Amino acid sequence: MRVRAGRMTYAVLIVFTVLSLFPLVWTAIAASGTNGRLARTPPPFWFGGNLPKNLGIAWTDANMGVALLNTVIVAGTVAAGTVLFSTLAGFAFAKLRFRFKNVLLLLVIGTMMVPPQLSVVPLFMLIAELSWTDQLQSVVLPALVSAFGVFFMRQYLLEALPVELLEAARVDGASGLRVVWHVVFPAARPAMAVLAMLTFVMAWNDFFWPIIALTQNGSPTVQVALTGLGRGYIPDQSVIMAGALLGTLPLLLVFVAFGRQIVGGIMQGAVKG
Amino acid sequence: MRTHTRVPRTRALLLAAAVALGAAPAAGCAADRDGDDGRTTISVGLFGSFGFKEAGLYDEYMRLHKDVVIEQTSIQRNENYYPQLLTHLVSDSGLADIQAVEAINIAEITATQAHRLEDLGTAPGVRKDDFLPWKWAQATTKDGRTVGLGTDIGPQAICYRKDLFARAGLPTDREAVGRLWAGDWRAYLETGKRYRAKAPAGTAFTDSASGVLAAITGSSARRFYDEDGTVVYKRNPAVREAWDIAASFATENLTARLQQFTPAWDQAYANATFATVSCPAWMLGYIEDKAGAAGRDRWDVAAAPRPGNWGGSFLVVPRSAKHRAEAVRLAAWLTAPEQQAKLFQRRGSFPSASAAHALPAVSGARHPYFNDAPTGRIYTRAAQGVPVTILGPKDLVIAQNLADVGMLQVDQRGRSPEAGWDAAVRTIDNALDL
Amino acid sequence: MASGTTTAGGAPLRQDAAGERRWRARRHRWDVRWSPYAYIAPFFVFFAAFGLVPLLYTAWASLHRVELTAPADMEWVGLRNFSRLVADEFFWNALKNTVTIGLLSTVPQLLIALGVAHLLHGRLRGSMFFRVVALTPYATSVAAATLVFVLLFGRDYGMVNWALGLAGIGPVNWQNGAWASQFAVSTIVIWRWTGYNALIYLAAMQSIPDELYESAALDGASRWRQFVHVTVPSLRPTILFTIVVSTIGATQLFGEPLLFNGSAGATGGSDHQFQTLGLYLYEQGWVNLHLGRASAIAWAMFLILVLLGTAAGLINAYRRRTG
Repeated sequence: MRVRAGRMTYAVLIVFTVLSLFPLVWTAIAASGTNGRLARTPPPFWFGGNLPKNLGIAWTDANMGVALLNTVIVAGTVAAGTVLFSTLAGFAFAKLRFRFKNVLLLLVIGTMMVPPQLSVVPLFMLIAELSWTDQLQSVVLPALVSAFGVFFMRQYLLEALPVELLEAARVDGASGLRVVWHVVFPAARPAMAVLAMLTFVMAWNDFFWPIIALTQNGSPTVQVALTGLGRGYIPDQSVIMAGALLGTLPLLLVFVAFGRQIVGGIMQGAVKG
Repeated sequence: MRTHTRVPRTRALLLAAAVALGAAPAAGCAADRDGDDGRTTISVGLFGSFGFKEAGLYDEYMRLHKDVVIEQTSIQRNENYYPQLLTHLVSDSGLADIQAVEAINIAEITATQAHRLEDLGTAPGVRKDDFLPWKWAQATTKDGRTVGLGTDIGPQAICYRKDLFARAGLPTDREAVGRLWAGDWRAYLETGKRYRAKAPAGTAFTDSASGVLAAITGSSARRFYDEDGTVVYKRNPAVREAWDIAASFATENLTARLQQFTPAWDQAYANATFATVSCPAWMLGYIEDKAGAAGRDRWDVAAAPRPGNWGGSFLVVPRSAKHRAEAVRLAAWLTAPEQQAKLFQRRGSFPSASAAHALPAVSGARHPYFNDAPTGRIYTRAAQGVPVTILGPKDLVIAQNLADVGMLQVDQRGRSPEAGWDAAVRTIDNALDL
Repeated sequence: MASGTTTAGGAPLRQDAAGERRWRARRHRWDVRWSPYAYIAPFFVFFAAFGLVPLLYTAWASLHRVELTAPADMEWVGLRNFSRLVADEFFWNALKNTVTIGLLSTVPQLLIALGVAHLLHGRLRGSMFFRVVALTPYATSVAAATLVFVLLFGRDYGMVNWALGLAGIGPVNWQNGAWASQFAVSTIVIWRWTGYNALIYLAAMQSIPDELYESAALDGASRWRQFVHVTVPSLRPTILFTIVVSTIGATQLFGEPLLFNGSAGATGGSDHQFQTLGLYLYEQGWVNLHLGRASAIAWAMFLILVLLGTAAGLINAYRRRTG
């Protein structure tokens, strides 16, 4: 039941808002000063004058233009591919009958639990074998294997796609692909949107594997580019924070600009169990 | 009941996916960047900042060799850089034409990766006699191939705040300060106690017990390994003594209980909360940057109790480098005495090429930030006294766990020196797979 | 709905129709039989290449002594890498930390999310603003978030200790205190994920029919009792889902404790007080360079999760049968 919100509700929500935004705002504050300023007591609460300068240093030092472009390509491709593959597989696992289904599903769920740090060595050997080092597909292709995506789409489609709808389409004479096209995708769209966003953000922020697979002069993603910041023995915290801000800002802008749609998408696509 | 949906959008999505999939390899193909103008691009992979670029050495080389373009990648922290370098080496992929190696990793690289690296000892223009013998030996395999050329070394001094020393009633002249602890690390500890007695409020004698530990272990010839390559740190009295002295700094409340190379350490420089730090040559730039304008002429440099070395680096050329011959030539040039002298002058990295030590640019150097201290003379003298330390492949693991596990427990968690030692030993034994 | 094309007609036509029906039936059967494989094929092709191959390599490596300095040199050691884990104090310590940090981050995170969702569920001015804001931490990378929290949690000059100092507390050593550091690491996780989970709960709350609340209100249930007796039970599947996802995330927790430790890297604090399993695995593989041992830890983690999953499944099945 929706009750009109009282003052307490607003008070608590405003506290929550402040806590959610504060670390981000403070990243900008830290990026706007100098090292010395960060060392003061009490710590700075307002912006200093160096924000443009530090952002500029971070931008050129980290080769950020190329990095941003690469990251958009990587995250976009990974998101599109993952959503496509996960929806198809999730649909099959949710609604179709085939041999070894349960075994394969268990395999999928099992891989969700495998810690990703370890695959790095064999994966790099594989990538090296294919001569893909420092090329974007070396981070794109492995990321397409999203067991979580399959699991997520299956859970959603279990509920969201009534069997009757499928059968009606079949009786109608629609072949497999047309069923997928006209029935499954429309039903799955909210969850696809959520998965796309989740995957995009994850691919955008991934750093562990890209640091190994890519180099800064080749085809760096944002997170790879940022590891070069700090100028070695003399890391400048303000510049590092400026870099962190640069890496986050594009996503934040998207979230603010399309906040309504993204939130709506998450709420529609939230797995109902 | 066919559900009619906005097919075009779905189709557009799929199309986009397909295009993106196809486009990804294309976008990645920009990796080969040799210019169309026939110039050779030599890539240099570094950690931290060597200062080659900042000191103008690349530009100078490119002026001398019009057909060469130098490109540099740098990963800020060796913790990120070294695993990447190893992965790339063992799979012969993704390597730059020249790669840097930290001194603490050079024994491991020399022992396990030498067959993947060029022998730089026989490269044209490289003369063994130009280098400090121990630096040369550290990157030389048992069968006599020298796979790494030394860049800088880290001879040590003690940096101290004159203003704090004055307020604590200690001498401030660098010669007099050096005499306070000359020859004995325990005298350094005793000076700390004198400082504590009259310490200005909110300050400690030194930054961290781990820093003292690194300094003392850097001044003994045998530390973690013996001549046969056996791990002996546990029963080596020199290491144990270093441990006890360093731990005393913590138990006697002489440290600011910091961890080096963290933001908190930087902030402490800015606030002048400790009076001394053992500073290898490469640390001077760091102090200048962190202590800022407020620290100018307040910091000074005195000789360390005993000469020692901490850090430094090497350049190696992988056999699978795309432009091997050019890379070897560049590595040899960058590490030649003249260039090392320039780097010291402009960046403070102390030359591992002993031939450079006599050059006026080195021996006569003074540091304006540190009260015009004769850093050239101080560090040259330290470098001449540095013992030939026996290195081993797991130096990094041993040193790091002694500092960041054992000594940090004593310094920050109030553990006894014994308990800290035990904790470090257990961690190291587990790490070394003994 | 058109269920067939059998309109009246001549015999040949009927034969054609029958033929077509047969063909369509065959096609249909073929379709039903094989199309599922076509749907899962793209995923499994990539999975085989980039998921299974590394996984099998890891399994094989876990039975060997193999170092990162020479991954091709493998020395067979059987199950030794696993058996030594039993006596490995660092493994148990990491397991313990993973559990406590997991609880410290997951439980408050989901509780706060539930509360925030409940508040957002009311009629509210600017509800979209609150929702978008709730999601922004999620857009921040682990690296960026941890960097700023390291500064905020600084012992000497951090904002948290400064604020606590105003209240006469501290200074707390957030990096090297036992519980303090676990709390600090958990805070990063909580900060990044609470808003996202709140939105998921909110979505589920909105699908609860109003009648349920009305009848509860008729029975004289207070707001709180309505929340406990109507809202929470209706959200059970959603809560379960978020618990599963958070638990998997918690067992693999890695980036936050790694980066929170500053220059000391993978030790997880001077006393390994916030070294998680993921971090211990990383230390063994990438710092100590023992790929075989790291592989064994990975598989042990995997087995622990499978055990947990199986146990949860069994409990669930048992409850369904008895309840």
